[in-house]
Amino acid sequence: MRRLPWTPIAAFALIVVIALLAPWLGLANPVSMDVPHRLAGPSAAHWLGQDEFGRDVFARLIWGARVSLSVAVAAAALACVVGTTLGVVGGFLRGIAEILALRSIDVLLCFPPLLLALLVVTLLGPGATTLIPVLALVYLPGFTRVAYAGVLTARSQDYVEAMRVLGAGKSRIMLRTILPNIGGPLLVQFSLAMAAAVVLESGLSFLGLGVVPPAPSWGLMIGAARATMTQAPLLLLWPCLALTATILVMNALCDGLRDAVDPHPAYRPTARRLLDALAPGLLPTPRAVLDLRGLTVEIDTPHGPIHPVRDVSLQVFPGETLAIVGESGSGKSVTSLAITGLLPGAARVISGAACLDGTDLLRLSEDRLRNLRGAAMAMVFQDPGSSLNPVHRIGDQIAEAIIAHRPMPRAQATSAALALLQRVGIPDPARRLRAFPHELSGGMRQRVMIAIAIANGPRLLIADEPTTALDVTIQAQVLDLLADLKRERGLALLFITHSLPVVAEIADRVAVMYAGEIVETGPTAEVFLNPRHPYTAALLRSAPVEDGPAPEGIAGVVPPPTALPPGCIFAPRCDRAAPVCTTTHPALEAAGEGRAVRCIRWNQP
Amino acid sequence: MTWLLRRLGISLVLIWVVATVVFLAIHMVPGDPAELLLSQGGTTPDAGVVEELREQLGLTKPLHVQYGLHMWRLLHFDLGQSMQDDSPVVAEIARRLPRTLELILAAGIMAVLIGIPTGTAAAMRRGGAFDRISSAIASLALAVPVFVVGTLMVMVFAQMLRFVPAGGFTPFTRDPAQHLALLAMPAGAIGIGLSAVVFRMTRAAVLDVMLRDYVRTARAKGVTPNRILVRHVVRTALMPVVTILALQLGTLLGGTVLVEFVFNWPGLSGLLVSAVNARDYPLVVGIITVISVLFVGLNLAVDVLYGLLDPRVRR
Ligand code: SF4
Repeated sequence: MRRLPWTPIAAFALIVVIALLAPWLGLANPVSMDVPHRLAGPSAAHWLGQDEFGRDVFARLIWGARVSLSVAVAAAALACVVGTTLGVVGGFLRGIAEILALRSIDVLLCFPPLLLALLVVTLLGPGATTLIPVLALVYLPGFTRVAYAGVLTARSQDYVEAMRVLGAGKSRIMLRTILPNIGGPLLVQFSLAMAAAVVLESGLSFLGLGVVPPAPSWGLMIGAARATMTQAPLLLLWPCLALTATILVMNALCDGLRDAVDPHPAYRPTARRLLDALAPGLLPTPRAVLDLRGLTVEIDTPHGPIHPVRDVSLQVFPGETLAIVGESGSGKSVTSLAITGLLPGAARVISGAACLDGTDLLRLSEDRLRNLRGAAMAMVFQDPGSSLNPVHRIGDQIAEAIIAHRPMPRAQATSAALALLQRVGIPDPARRLRAFPHELSGGMRQRVMIAIAIANGPRLLIADEPTTALDVTIQAQVLDLLADLKRERGLALLFITHSLPVVAEIADRVAVMYAGEIVETGPTAEVFLNPRHPYTAALLRSAPVEDGPAPEGIAGVVPPPTALPPGCIFAPRCDRAAPVCTTTHPALEAAGEGRAVRCIRWNQP
Repeated sequence: MTWLLRRLGISLVLIWVVATVVFLAIHMVPGDPAELLLSQGGTTPDAGVVEELREQLGLTKPLHVQYGLHMWRLLHFDLGQSMQDDSPVVAEIARRLPRTLELILAAGIMAVLIGIPTGTAAAMRRGGAFDRISSAIASLALAVPVFVVGTLMVMVFAQMLRFVPAGGFTPFTRDPAQHLALLAMPAGAIGIGLSAVVFRMTRAAVLDVMLRDYVRTARAKGVTPNRILVRHVVRTALMPVVTILALQLGTLLGGTVLVEFVFNWPGLSGLLVSAVNARDYPLVVGIITVISVLFVGLNLAVDVLYGLLDPRVRR
C-alpha cells in the first residue's frame, strides 16, 4: 500500500467523532417540538434556527449524521461479512458452492440498486432497521466479486499450494493467507459501500421509505423543508450542505484508498523541450545518415534527476547496420527514443546533437520532427502485439502511415499497403489487409510493423529489440527480412538488442552500452574476436556459444542510475580494475582502426 | 455468432430467474398480502373479507400452481390487475415507461455531450488549470445526491427566478414547447451527476490509452496529434466509457424514482413508489419484473455493442 489519503481520513474521522459525541455535545433535544416558534431564524439558543415544528435544526443536523453514518456502517459491515464469505467460500471450495455463490450474485445484479431497495422495503416496510439489510443486499455483490477474485489469485500462488501440501486445513489457509491479501481491495469496497449507503439512505428517507419520523435524518429534513422552501430556504440548505459535504469527504476517501491500494502509472503530458543552443562547433561526419554526438538524457525522479544516457556518440552510414547492445537499463532504448523525439514526459535531452542527413533532430520543432518521423526515419518496436492498434484493420494502419506523409486517395494508399504486405512476405496479403491485429501471429504482426516502417522509404530505420518477443525460427526470418531491406534500399539500420547472437547475425558494427554509456565500439567481427573493454569481454563470456564452454555470468549488478560510482562505472564489477579506476572517469578513446573503448587500462597488460 | 447466441441464452435464463425471484420474494413476505392490504390504517380486517380477497388474488391455490400461473401469464405479457383500481398492470406500465425512458435518454445525451469532450480535454492537459477545475467540479457534482440537486433546482429556477414551472408533465403531442420546458429540469438534475461520471471515466480512459504502445506507434508514423487523438486515443478510450454509461443508464431505470418524485414527473418509477406505498403487489411485481428484464436486455445490448467496437471480443 502506498501513501494513505490523510486529508480525507482526517475529515471523515471528524464527522464520525461529531456523530459519536452527539449525546454529549449539550445539544437541544432534536425531537422536542416548539410549534409557536416554527421556522424561527437563527438565535443564541438555536444557532441554525428552528424547523417547521420548531425543533432545533443544528441538533437535528448532528443527530442526522449519527443516523446516516450508523446505518451506512452497519449496512456496509453486513454486506462485507456476508459478501466476503460468499466470495471466499465460492472461490475456495469451487464446485457447487462456487456456482451458487456467483450465480446468486449475478441475479442480484439484475436489479438496479434502488429498485432492489424498493422491493425489500415493500416486503418489510420502511424504517431504519429495514434499511440496514436493504442496503447490505445492494452492496453485497461488490464484496463477493473482490473476495472471489482475490481468492482465485491467491490460490494460484506458490505459498498457498505449499501450505496445502504441508497439510494445512482449508479454513486455516483461508484465514491465514487469503484474507490478509484481499484486505486492501475489501477496504476500498467498504468505503465505496459506505458512501453509497449514505446516498441511498438519504434518498429513501427523502421518499418517506427510509428512516421514520420524527427521528432526525438528512433525507427526511430535506423532504420536509421542501414544503416551506419559499419562506425558509435556509432550512433546506443546511441538510443539503451537510449531506453533500459528507458524501464529498467519503468519495475523496474512496478515491484516495483506491489509489493507495492499486497505484497505477498515468500519462503525464509535457511539451518536448528543444535544445536551444546550437551544437558547439561540430563538423558533421560526411555521408553519415545518423550522426549522434554527446547525447545526454535527464529524467526527473522523486530522488532528483538521473541521467540514463550520458555522452553517447555514434554514426550510422547508408547500407550499414549498427547494433547497440547492452543489458536492460543500459540506456539503449532511451537513446533511440531520444533520437526520434518519443521520450516519455518525464525525460528530456539536455545536451548533444542528433543529425539526420545533416538536420539536427534535437533542435527541430515538433511539427517538423513529425514530418520526418515515419518518413525519413522510421521505427520498429519490441512488442508487435501491443504496438498495433487492436481496433483498426491492418490495411488501415499501414495506409494511415502512407497518407500521413503523402496525401493520396484512399484506394491508392490501400494498394500501396498491399504491395508493402507483399514485400514483407505476408501470405495472402489481400485478405490480411482486412484483418485485425489479434488475428495475426506475432511474427506476422512484426512484419506488419516493418511494412509500416518502410512505407515512406526511410533513410534510417531504428529497430528496438524487434525480435525479442518472437520465437527463434520466426526471429531468424524477421532478421533476414530486415537485412534484405537494408541491402535493397541502402537503409541505415540502427538495431537495438540485448542479444549477442543477434548482433553477430545482423550487425556490421556494434556499440556496447553499459549503465548509460558506450563502453566500446567497432566492427562486429573484430570486437567479438578481440574485445578491448573488460565489460565486452565479460559479456561475450556470459553469452551461450554453441559447443563452447558453459557461459559464466558477470559478478555483481549494474549500478543504479541514482548511485553511479565516481570513477569508471564498471569498476565495481571489473576483473581488471586498478586503484586509479575508482577515481578517474575514463573517456571514450580511439583504439585502432574504427574502434574506440572507454577503459583506462585497455592497452595495458 | 455462437458468441451472440450464448449471450442471448444466458440473458433468457437470467430473465427467468429474476421473474422467479420476484415471485418468491412477494410470496415469502411475512404476513399475508391480502391481510396487509386490508389492514391499512390500523384496523383489524374481518376474516371473511380477507378470505374473499385471498380467493380473488389466487392466494388460496398451492404455491407451485400460483407460480405456474404467474409464469404462464408472464409469457403472454399479462401482469395481472392493479389491486387499487383493477386496471391492467401492463397498460399502466406501457403508459408510464416511455416517459421514464425519455428522461433517461435526455440525461444520457447531456452526459455524453458534456462528459466526453471535457474528460478528453482534461486528460490531454493533465494537471493543468482546466483539468483541476473540471475535476473539482466533477467531484462536487458526484457528491450532490440527485434529489438534492433537483430540490435546489426547483428552489432556484422555479421558485426564485421563475424560469420554469416547478414540475409536472404535458404530453409532447399537446404542447411540445411546454413538454420540453418541463423535461429540462428533471433531465438536467440526472444529467449533472451522469456527466460527472462520464467525465471521470473518459479522463481515466484517455490517460490510460495515452500510455499504450500503439499510440507511440502512431506518433512514430508521423500522424498528426489531432488524428492520433481522434482515431487512436478517443476511439479506444470510448469503449469502457460507453459500457459504463450504458450500465449507468440501466441503473437509472429504477433510479429515476427520486427525480420523478421531486419534479412530479409521472414516469414508471413514480408509479412504483405509489404502488409500494399502497402495497399494490401485482403492480410492484409487474414494474420490477419489467425493469429487470429491460436491465438484463440492456446488459446484453452493451455486450453486443462492445463486440462491435472491439474486434477482439467477437469470436
Ligand atoms: S577503467 Fe578500470 S575498472 Fe573500468 S573497465 Fe577499465 S580496467 Fe575495468
